[in-house]
Order: sequence, then C-alpha cells, then structure tokens
Amino acid sequence: MKYQSQAVAKPYFIAAIGLFVGQIVFGLIMGLQYVVGDFLFPAIPFNVARMVHTNLLIVWLLFGFMGAAYYLIPEESERELYSPKLAMLMFWIFLIAGAVTILGYLFVPYAKLAEMTGNDLLATMGREFLEQPLPTKVGIVIVALAMLFNLSMTVLRGRKTAINLVMLLGLWGLAIFFLFSFYNPANLVKDKFYWWWVVHLWVEGVWELIMGAMLAFVLIKVTGVDREVIEKWLYVIIAMALITGLIGMGHHYYWIGTPSYWQWWGSVFSALEPIPFFMMTLFAFNMVNRRRREHPNKAAVLWALGTGVMAFLGAGVWGFLHTLAPVNFYTHGSQITAAHGHMAFYGAYVMVVITMISYTMPLMRGRAANSKTAQVVEMWSFWLMTVAMVFITLFLTAAGTLQIWLQRIAAEPMGFMAAQDQVALFYWMREISGLVFFVGLVLYITSFFIKGKEAPAD
Amino acid sequence: MKQATLLWLLLLALTTLTTQAATLSAAAGLTGSAVPLVLLAALIKGRVVIDRFMVLQHVDGPWRWIVLGWLLLVLGLIGYAFNLNPT
Amino acid sequence: MNIAVALLAPQGRRRDLPGDLAMWFFIFAELLVFGVLFLAYAFARARNVELFNASQLELDRISGAINTALLITSSYFVVRAVDRIRHGASRACVHWLAAAMACGGAFLVLKLVEFGAKFDAGITMSTNTFFMFYIGLGFFHFMHVVLGMVILGAVALKAWQGGYSAADHTGVETGASYWHMVDLVWIVLFPLVYVLR
Repeated sequence: MKYQSQAVAKPYFIAAIGLFVGQIVFGLIMGLQYVVGDFLFPAIPFNVARMVHTNLLIVWLLFGFMGAAYYLIPEESERELYSPKLAMLMFWIFLIAGAVTILGYLFVPYAKLAEMTGNDLLATMGREFLEQPLPTKVGIVIVALAMLFNLSMTVLRGRKTAINLVMLLGLWGLAIFFLFSFYNPANLVKDKFYWWWVVHLWVEGVWELIMGAMLAFVLIKVTGVDREVIEKWLYVIIAMALITGLIGMGHHYYWIGTPSYWQWWGSVFSALEPIPFFMMTLFAFNMVNRRRREHPNKAAVLWALGTGVMAFLGAGVWGFLHTLAPVNFYTHGSQITAAHGHMAFYGAYVMVVITMISYTMPLMRGRAANSKTAQVVEMWSFWLMTVAMVFITLFLTAAGTLQIWLQRIAAEPMGFMAAQDQVALFYWMREISGLVFFVGLVLYITSFFIKGKEAPAD
Repeated sequence: MKQATLLWLLLLALTTLTTQAATLSAAAGLTGSAVPLVLLAALIKGRVVIDRFMVLQHVDGPWRWIVLGWLLLVLGLIGYAFNLNPT
Repeated sequence: MNIAVALLAPQGRRRDLPGDLAMWFFIFAELLVFGVLFLAYAFARARNVELFNASQLELDRISGAINTALLITSSYFVVRAVDRIRHGASRACVHWLAAAMACGGAFLVLKLVEFGAKFDAGITMSTNTFFMFYIGLGFFHFMHVVLGMVILGAVALKAWQGGYSAADHTGVETGASYWHMVDLVWIVLFPLVYVLR
C-alpha cells in the first residue's frame, strides 16, 4: 500500500463481504421456497426474500466498487485521497442506511414501509431492484455524489491515467443512471423503458468500465506488463462495451410496448455484446502469460483469470443464448433469464470485486500476499463457488428450457404453476448447488483468518 | 500524390456511374439488372479506399485481409441476398 | 489469437499498420457492427422485396450521391493531410484536415436536410422495415461522421500546435484511418440503401 488513505477501502470491503453472506443466505431461503412454498411463511414471504437477495447483491457490489475506487484512485493518481474523513463518513451513512432499509423490508409490510417513508410524496418504490424507500434512494445519491467529489478531486490534482479516468467515468455513469430511479411516469411502457436504464444500463454499460479498470489495475500489479499495453486494451474494450451495450439494451424493449424496430436494434447490437467480454478474457490470459514477474499472490491471479472466463460465459454466452428477438419471444421472463442473471452477476461483477479484494486486502494488512495455507483455502473457495455457480446456471437453464417447452411451445400449454411443479427436480438440484456455493463462501471468509508464513510487503 | 488525385477522380466517376445506373433502372422499372454492376463498383471503390487511402496494400500479416475480407464478404452476401428472390 | 499476440509485440517494428493499433481494433469492431447491420438489411429485404423497392423510390438519391462524393473527397483530403505531415509541413496538414472536416460538415448538413424532409413527410422508424433501416443505419452512420470529425478536429488542433513532425505523426495516421473507415462504410451503405433494387 503506497498511500495511507487507501486504507479506507478496508471497511468497505469488509462490509461488502458481510452483505454478500446475507445475500447468499436469502438466496438459499428463496431457493428452498421455490420447492417448499411455505418455508418460513409468513415471517419471510417469497417476495421479501427475493427483494432482500437482489438488493443486497446490488448494495454489496456498490460497497465493493467504492472500496476498489478508494484504493485504486489514490494509487493511480499518485497522491493521497482528497478527504479520507469524507470517505469514512459516507461509509457509515451508506452502511446504516442499507441496514435500516433491509430491516424495514424484513419487519414492516412493504405497503406500510412505503407509507412511512413518503412514497406518496414521490412514488419511486415497488419496482424490481428499486424497492428502496425514498430516503434510502436520496441517501444513495448523496453518498455517490460525495464519493465522486472526493475521487474527482483526487484525480484532478494527481496523475491522470487511463485506468483512473475510466474508473471515474464508470462511477459517474453509475450515479447519473441511478437518477432514473426517481423517474416514475404514469405510462406503464415509459415506466418500464426508463426502469431498464438503472440496473441494466449499469451492468451492460458503465459497470463494464468499472470492471475493466479494476481488472486492468490488478493485472498491471500482478503481471508487471507495461502499462501502455494494458491501457490500449482497456480503451478498446470500453469503446466496444459502450457501443454494443448502450444500443444492445434494446433487447429489453422487445415486448413492453415500445416500437418494433427495437427488435432489430436490440438483436443486432446485443448479439455483439459478448465481444467486449471475450476481449476481456483474451486480455486477462495474455497479460498473465506475458507476465514479467511472479507475484506471490497467486489467489488474486486466479480470481482475475476466473473473472475473464466466467464473465464471458455468464454475460456473453448465456446472454447471447436468449438475446435475439425471435428466441426471446419464447424465453423472456423464464428461468433462462434467471440462469443468465446468476452467472453474469457472479462471473463479471462478484468475481471482479473479489479479485480486487484478494489483491488489496493482504496489502492493507501489511503484506504482499497471504500465507500459502491461506491462499490454498482461498483457491478452494474459488473453485467451490465457481463450480457451484456453473451448476446453478446449468440447472436453471434446464429448468428454463423445460418450463418454456411445457408452458409456451407444447401442443397443450400448461399454466405457470403446473409447469413449475414439473421442473421442481431442477430447483432441488439448484438448491444443493447453492449450499455448495455457501460452503465455498464460508471457506473464503475463513481464509482471511488463517495465519502462516506470509510474503513480506514490498 | 498525383496518383491519389487520379484515384479520387476514379471514385467520383464510379459514384456517378452507380447513381446513373440506379436512375436508369428505376425509370425503366427494372429490378435486379444493375445489381452486379453496382456491387462491382462498390468493390472497386472499397478496394481503393482500403489499399490506397488506408494504405493497407503492403501491410504484413492478416490486417489487410481482415478489412478486404470484410468488404468481399459483405458485398458477396448482399449479392446473394439480392438474388434470393428475383422478381 | 494472432491479433492478441501482435498487439503485445514489441513496439519496434512500426511498419505494420498506419496509426495506433488500438484504433484498428476499434475499426474492426465498427466494421463488424456495420457488416451485421448491412446483412440484416439485405436479408430483411429478401423477404420484403416489393416493400423495399417501393419505399426506396421515395429516397433522395441525388442527395445520397452528393454525400458520397463529399465523403470520398474528404477522404482524399485526409490522404493529402497525411502526405503533408510526412514531409513535416504541419500547417499544410492542418489546411487539408480543415478541408476534410468542411466536407464532413457539409455531409452532416445535407443528411439533416434529407432526414428533415422525411420527418416532415411523416416518415419515422416505425413507418416500415425499410425506413427503420434507412433512418437507423443513416443515424448510426451520422454519429460516426460526428465522431470522426471530433477525432480529426483533435488531430488538427495538435498539428496546429506543432505536435506532429515528419518523424512522429502516428496520431495523424490514427485519425486518418478512422475517417477512411467512416468513408468505407458509406461506400457500401449508399449503394445498398439508395441504389440496389
């Protein structure tokens, strides 16, 4: 660690991992509710479990990105963070607001929560991923703006590199697109249209910038390959990500009442969306193959390579699978979507955050890398979680395929719930894979507490 | 540079030819007849831009063929699509 | 994989591609996007020949032809600009670049007039599949002309400040390559949408 203020990343990462555990626990609860419908009813109904599962995912990834930004930007800018105090203040605000919101979801009926938090002043609640009460949304904006101010000031006064500029651009984009969560037109088509601009323009657009910057940062550090080479890749990848992602977004507009030309634009551009992800895979492997040094942190290298592969599979291949309009006509809103969502979020964003944590945490704890034993445990957790996620995806894909067949293609189509009964076996297998994933996560956390002979800090 | 100027004039002439072909065939109510000619003109124009303006002609490796191949493939498939359903 | 290896090759052998390699990757990606769109047009037309032929007659072919001439000419000017900077003549390079941008600007104006006339006639992307492609492809290409002009403008500014020389002018070649790509794409787009029937 070169600058003292980079240490503010640590609480962000710890909070991220803590919320990650929460996300997985609620995922397991919900996975069981798929097959045992009244599990934990009425304490935690399915819709609440789902809301907590998805909201925790977004929030912990945001914690991860923020932590990564607070670590990466000072180092790239070659100066201390503009205001570490502001960063810590925002950490506590974000953590408390997040915790209160989740408790609100769990202990107050949603309608009552909406009433209590002024949803009748400005209605923003009730939409997937954007369930947060108004005060929480405002809080997110304040935290994001304070962070952007802090980071922008740091970059403005320091060295400007491709990595910190791309990171900053991604974070600004994140904040700007979040503003659409406040826009809730009465027209249902428009409502849906702009709804997609928040989380989906994140994951298909600006988050790819954040991901590219983080991956490039870690790769420079662990491989020692020339910055110039890595930056060129970064530019090409983000240009491609933006062109394909921003118009490729049209694949969400097929059946919501928008003009039919979206079926063309969405299909063509989203079919090209795997390209930047594929380039990221090539990028990661080539940099590691051309490494000029053997970094002692093998686990971080493994996570970086894993990100390349799994992001391409989850976001690229599983996205392409159902992105063309004629295919999507049958597959939309089925378990195929869930399969894609799981592997894409894990492969792209979960893994890139863990890559960053894996690389930076030892440094923030005063060593270049963790002990051999700790790294072996961490690598085990990598394989358990990744393989479990592959199986979750495969089982959901199987469930989805069968569901589509029974419900939408068969000569005598079944009703939704009848079809769900038929695919229950796959849901059981998914739940078991989920348990394996959880074991991997526990192992991951354990790896932080394993002592042993550590590599000294540079 | 004299060569570039001549090539530029060639490109302009081909553009005129293409446009003229379209005007004539539209006026005569013909379809399909001008397709090979127009595609050939586009191929020549594209090749001039790729090899002489972009100066890819003597570049090593796959680079030139990526761009030239793109042109051939796109024009070829367009030609194919326009013959799928001759009316 | 070849491509990736070449990207990582040591910078010594600079007789490969004119301009920065990263720009070439961007160009390849752009060509791919346009290629897919062109083929989408061609095959969508094959299923709708009459509609496409009838709608095509409503286009202003002369305006399209003038635009082709403008882009070709601007490409030629860019060739001249690169030639000048190779001889270290920064000012002359800037003049040719300015001329190229003027052609680009005229292209944009003409295109806007053309689109304006169509919108006035009540034609939108939703009118039919042909006009969906005509407006969509045209607009997508329009944005590339805008981007190309921004790039040329940045190059011209740096050249004006004496940022390039006979020995070091990769930036000019990089910008030139992108601009030629914009031209190349239009060379296919014009016959495809305006002429072929």
